[in-house]
Amino acid sequence: MSDFAAPTIDYAGLSPVIALTAGICLVLLVGLFRLPHWVAPAKTLGVLAVTAGLCIWQWGENEDLVESALRLDELGLAASLIAIFAAAVTTILAMREPAAEDAGQGAFGALLLGSVLGMVLLAQAQNLLSFFIGLELLSIPLYVMCASAIRRERSLESGLKYLVIGSVGSATLLYGFALLYGASGSTDFGEIAAALGEGGQADDTLVLIGTAMVAVGLAFKLSLAPFHQWTPDVYQGAPTPVTAFMAVATKAAAFIALARLFEVALGPLTDDWQPALAALALISIVVGNIGALGQDSLKRLLGYSGIAQAGYMLAGVVVANETGLEALVFYLAAYCLMNLAIFVVVVVRERETEHGDDISALEGIGRSRPALAWPVTIGMLALAGLPGTSGFIGKLFLIEATVEGDYTWLGVAIVIGTMVSLAYYLRVLAAVWMRPEPEPVQTPLPAIAGASPQAPATEGPRVTPSPASERPLGAGRCVLVVGAGVVCAVATVAFGVYPDPLVDWATDAGSSLSL
Amino acid sequence: MKEVCFFLGAIGCLGGAIAVIGLRNPFYSVLALIVHLISLAGLFLLLQAEFLAAAQIVVYAGAVMVLYVFVAAYVGNVEESLWEPIPGQRWIAPLLGLALFAELSIAIIGSGLKSLDTEGPTVELGFGSPEAIGRLMLERFLIAFEAASLLLLIAAIGAVVLAARRRESAPPGVQPGGEHVDSQPGSPAGIPERAAG
Repeated sequence: MSDFAAPTIDYAGLSPVIALTAGICLVLLVGLFRLPHWVAPAKTLGVLAVTAGLCIWQWGENEDLVESALRLDELGLAASLIAIFAAAVTTILAMREPAAEDAGQGAFGALLLGSVLGMVLLAQAQNLLSFFIGLELLSIPLYVMCASAIRRERSLESGLKYLVIGSVGSATLLYGFALLYGASGSTDFGEIAAALGEGGQADDTLVLIGTAMVAVGLAFKLSLAPFHQWTPDVYQGAPTPVTAFMAVATKAAAFIALARLFEVALGPLTDDWQPALAALALISIVVGNIGALGQDSLKRLLGYSGIAQAGYMLAGVVVANETGLEALVFYLAAYCLMNLAIFVVVVVRERETEHGDDISALEGIGRSRPALAWPVTIGMLALAGLPGTSGFIGKLFLIEATVEGDYTWLGVAIVIGTMVSLAYYLRVLAAVWMRPEPEPVQTPLPAIAGASPQAPATEGPRVTPSPASERPLGAGRCVLVVGAGVVCAVATVAFGVYPDPLVDWATDAGSSLSL
Repeated sequence: MKEVCFFLGAIGCLGGAIAVIGLRNPFYSVLALIVHLISLAGLFLLLQAEFLAAAQIVVYAGAVMVLYVFVAAYVGNVEESLWEPIPGQRWIAPLLGLALFAELSIAIIGSGLKSLDTEGPTVELGFGSPEAIGRLMLERFLIAFEAASLLLLIAAIGAVVLAARRRESAPPGVQPGGEHVDSQPGSPAGIPERAAG
C-alpha cells in the first residue's frame, strides 16, 4: 500500500456536504431521547441554516472537488440553496403532520436531510458515478417519506408507485450511462466530452441511443410527459408536506443536473439532443395543461401543472446557451416560492377542514382567512404568469432564451400553454374568493394502510390517535406555517416587482458553466 | 476455450433471465434468477473482473437470493397468470419491449466503435483484484464510495420507518415526546375519528 495516493480534499468546498452528513446523524439521535416534539424539527432547521450559510460562503468559488467527482460552482450551489429552502419550509409544514409524527420526527428529519444531501451531490456531480449515487440518495428517502402516512392507503400506494416507476427510470438511466461509458471510455464529464468531440464518435449509434436512454431516465424523475403518469397519483397520495418538497426541490436538483450532463458531457452532441428535448418540452406543456383542466383535487392539479411547468423549464435547457441557463435558474427559484406558497395553504386547509385536498376546501377562505387566501392567490397568479409576479419575469426570460436559441416555436408554445393554464388556476381562485364557506362534514379516519383486513380482529392492534388530531390547532404552529406561506407569497411579488437581486443571482449561476 | 466459456455463460444468462419471467411458480423463478446471476458472474470472470464476480456470487446469488427464497416460501405457491391482467398492456408492453430491443440491436450492430470487433484491451495482471477496486474506491471515486455508504444508512432508516408501522402498540417512549395515547387494546374501533377543526 506504499503507493496509495490519497486524493486532495478541499474541505471548505465540501463543507455543505459535510454539514448535511453530520446533520443527518445529529437529527437521528433525537429519537433516542425523550425530548419535546419540537427538538427534531428545530435541529433540522438548524442544520439547513448552517448548510445554507456554507453554500453562501462558497458562492463564487469555481473548482473541481475530489478527483473531479463534484464541481463546485454557482450553478450547483444555486440548486442546493433552492433545495435547502424547500426543505426548511417542509420541516415547518411537517411539524405536526401525522405522517411525520408516526415516522418519528427524528427519522423524518434525517430522511429529509438525506434527500437534500442527494440533491446537493446531484447538482454538483461531474462524474457519472457520483451523478447516479446522488440521484439514488435523493430518491430513496422520498419513496419512504411518500409512504410514511400509515393511516392512508393512498400514501402506501403512492410510495410503492414512486418506488417502482423511479426504479424503472433509474435502470434506464444506468443503461444509458453504460452505453455512454462504453463509447467514451470514461465516467468523467470533461473526458466524455473530449472523447466524443475529438474522437469523432458523436454520431455513433451507441452514443445516440445512450443519450436517449439518459434523457428518458431523467424525464421520469422530472415528470416530463410522456413519462409523467406517476406524478398525479404520487402527488395526491403522499403526505402534503412531502409533496411540496418533491414538487419543488427534486425539480431544481434534477434540472441543474440535466443541464450539466447534457451541456458539458454531451456538449458535442448538442445538435442531436436539442430536437428530442424540445419535443419532450412541447409534449409536457400540452399534456400537463390539458390534464390539469378537469382536476378537482388540488394536489393532482398541482401535479399536472408541475408537468406543464417542467415543460417550460426544459426550454431553458433545450436552447443550450447561457441565457437559457440563467432563465432556468431564475424560474426554478420563482417556481419554488410560488408553489410553496400554495402548498402551505393546502396543508393548513387539509388540517382544518374535512375536504382534504379538494378544491372545495378552499371555498370561502377569501372572506374568512385572508392570510391563507392571499398566498394561494399570489401563487396561482404567479404560476399562470401574471405581470407583477416573479412567474411573469421567469416566463419572460425563458421566452427570450428560446428566441435567442432559435427555438421561437417553443416560446410560442409556452405562451399558449400559459393561456390555457389560466382556465384551471382561475377556477381555484374563483373557489377562494367567490364561493361561500361550505358546511363541515364528518368523515371517519381510514384504517392503517397495508394492514390485512383480518388484522384488527385477530391481532387487535391498538391504534393510537395522532397527536395532531387530538390537539386543537396551536396558535404558535399556525403562525409559523402561515408565516412561511406569507413569506413565499411576499417574495413572489417582491421579485416580480423588483427582480434585480434574483436576476443577478441567476446570472451568476447561469454563467458559471462557461458555455 | 474462451469462446466455449463465453457461450456457456451467455446461454445460462439469457436462459435464466427468460425463465425468470416465463415460469409460473415464483419459487422456480427465484432459482432461475440464481442461474442467471451465476452465469453473469462467469462472464465477469472472462472480463478479468475477479472481485466483481466474487461479490456477485456472495452478495446476489447468496444473500439477496436467500431473502427472495424466504419471501417465495412465505407467500407460498401463488400461480400467477402468464398473461398481463391489464388488457390494454397485454399488447402494448411487448410491442414497446420489442421496439427497445430493436433500438438497442441497432445501437450495438450499427456502432462504428472499432474496439467492438477485437479481443478487447489487454489489461495488466490484477486489474479486477480487490486491491485495485479498493484503491479506486478510496482514490478516484472517494465521494461516490462515501455517498453509497450514506445511501445504505438512509435506506436502513427508511426500512425502520416503514417496518415500525405495525408497532403501533409499542410503549409511548418509542416516539419522541411519548405523546401517543394508547386506545383500549383489542378494539378494532380504536381507530380514532379525526377531531374536526
